[in-house]
Amino acid sequence: MPEPTGVIHDIGYQRYTGPRLGRRHVFGALYLHGLRTAFGLGRSAKAKIFPWLVMGIVLVVAAGLTAVRTQLGEVVMTYAQFADTMSWLVIFFVAVVAPELVSRDLLSGVLPLYFSRPLPRGDYALAKLGALATALWLLLGAPQLLMFLGAAFTTDDGMRGVWNELGDLLPGLLYAALWAVVFASIGLLIASLTGKRAFAAGGIVAVFLMTAPIVGILSIMPSRTVNELAMLGSPTALVHAVGQYTLGDLLVPGGQGEDQIGGFGPVYLAVAVLLVAGCVALLLMRYRKVAAR
Amino acid sequence: MSTVTWITARGLFGRRRFLLLLPLPALLLALAILSRSLGVDPGQWGPAVLVGLGLAVVLPVVSLIIGTGVLGAEIDDGTVVHILTKPLPRWQIVLPKLAVATGVSAATVAVPLYVAGVLAHSVRLGLALAAASALGALAYSALFLALSLLTRRPVLLGLVYVLIWEGLLGRFVDGTKVLSVQQWVIALADRMAPTDLLGTTVSVPVAGVLTALLAAGCTVLAVDRLRSFSVAGETS
Repeated sequence: MPEPTGVIHDIGYQRYTGPRLGRRHVFGALYLHGLRTAFGLGRSAKAKIFPWLVMGIVLVVAAGLTAVRTQLGEVVMTYAQFADTMSWLVIFFVAVVAPELVSRDLLSGVLPLYFSRPLPRGDYALAKLGALATALWLLLGAPQLLMFLGAAFTTDDGMRGVWNELGDLLPGLLYAALWAVVFASIGLLIASLTGKRAFAAGGIVAVFLMTAPIVGILSIMPSRTVNELAMLGSPTALVHAVGQYTLGDLLVPGGQGEDQIGGFGPVYLAVAVLLVAGCVALLLMRYRKVAAR
Repeated sequence: MSTVTWITARGLFGRRRFLLLLPLPALLLALAILSRSLGVDPGQWGPAVLVGLGLAVVLPVVSLIIGTGVLGAEIDDGTVVHILTKPLPRWQIVLPKLAVATGVSAATVAVPLYVAGVLAHSVRLGLALAAASALGALAYSALFLALSLLTRRPVLLGLVYVLIWEGLLGRFVDGTKVLSVQQWVIALADRMAPTDLLGTTVSVPVAGVLTALLAAGCTVLAVDRLRSFSVAGETS
């Protein structure tokens, strides 16, 4: 058998010799891309319609509240209450953004391309989760900042008034972060189950809306313990209950919160943490399975 | 039974994800049975289960997923071309699909609502709820079917209607209730079985006429849109 005589010619393709950015940069790039996707930045006008519709509505509401406050001096709602009032819009925003972040990648089958980079399976999911949570926090935080600016510039007490106002704003922003984390982890988990954006959006809304009446039913059951634990029934109510426990007067003026959750505040807090942890664990498991395919 | 009907039904039931629709009616049933067995006053749990869960969530969400699915799924994956190139008048495509969507949504919603209505008050209320929700399913399905021909994102636009128009504005701006399918269904059910569990500000003739108008108008619009339908890939 003759020796093979073929030769591999160097036809002058250049090799990459620059620095190779590691895992942290991949994560950062994916996170930033996710955040831009959430608001449709860098994409066509069609992709911007729904996110900015929701953003526009909350900002208009906040502007209206600020106008009422500056002109009439009436505080219609506190910073923390703003998030509760906007809950349906938050659900809609999750239904718009979460499928956009993960379902498209599932449908077009580009995940093997992502995972051929130095990117651990979990990092992909966590970057998307971080992007969604940040987008939600911005959605709830930006209007609160607007309300704060309105209040700060019309205060009569000088710096002390601004300082007081800031003391109200910061818990509101923390509460918005709680909303963002809980809704992002549940929404992204549901969206990661299907590649069809339409079904993912429907599923997210179905889960959030169908759980709300459970709270209503449990709170009229003939048992005081069940009534006080009723708000475990839906994510929206759970977040509200944790807010009542931690923020108290800022969320429910007049101290009516005691009647609703009784002494179960720590239980609500624990369940909220467990819920988020469980959803993130399931999400990571899901991507271990998807990646293996 | 035309071939289009058969294809549509198989497209709906042939997938595992149809099973994902079942938790909604099951939850409705479970809550009604639980409340009844614990002896809670129907005046308290009735509105929360029948209206708050049944007519405000289960009916629109089920109709939305099915109504946008019967034609929208085929448009999404491009197989709608196969139907469009057959020598069929467009109404023979739209009407069977609308019939399947309405039938499946109505069956999924009306049965648990009937049981919940019987448990809450009487057989008459159950029948009224079942009939009214079937009419509601027709109106919603026609609306969402037309939406899936008007836009590339029918589910999100449908959600804007259900969540923001009916849900958010319906609570704060009373006047929008006149144009809300949910309120028409409540009005019709209340007319068929007058109880104090259901209540709305919309009058019955208005509700009836508007339901019929919406169903007919959206069907005609869907037939018309399908007549000049252009198959385009997704751009964004």
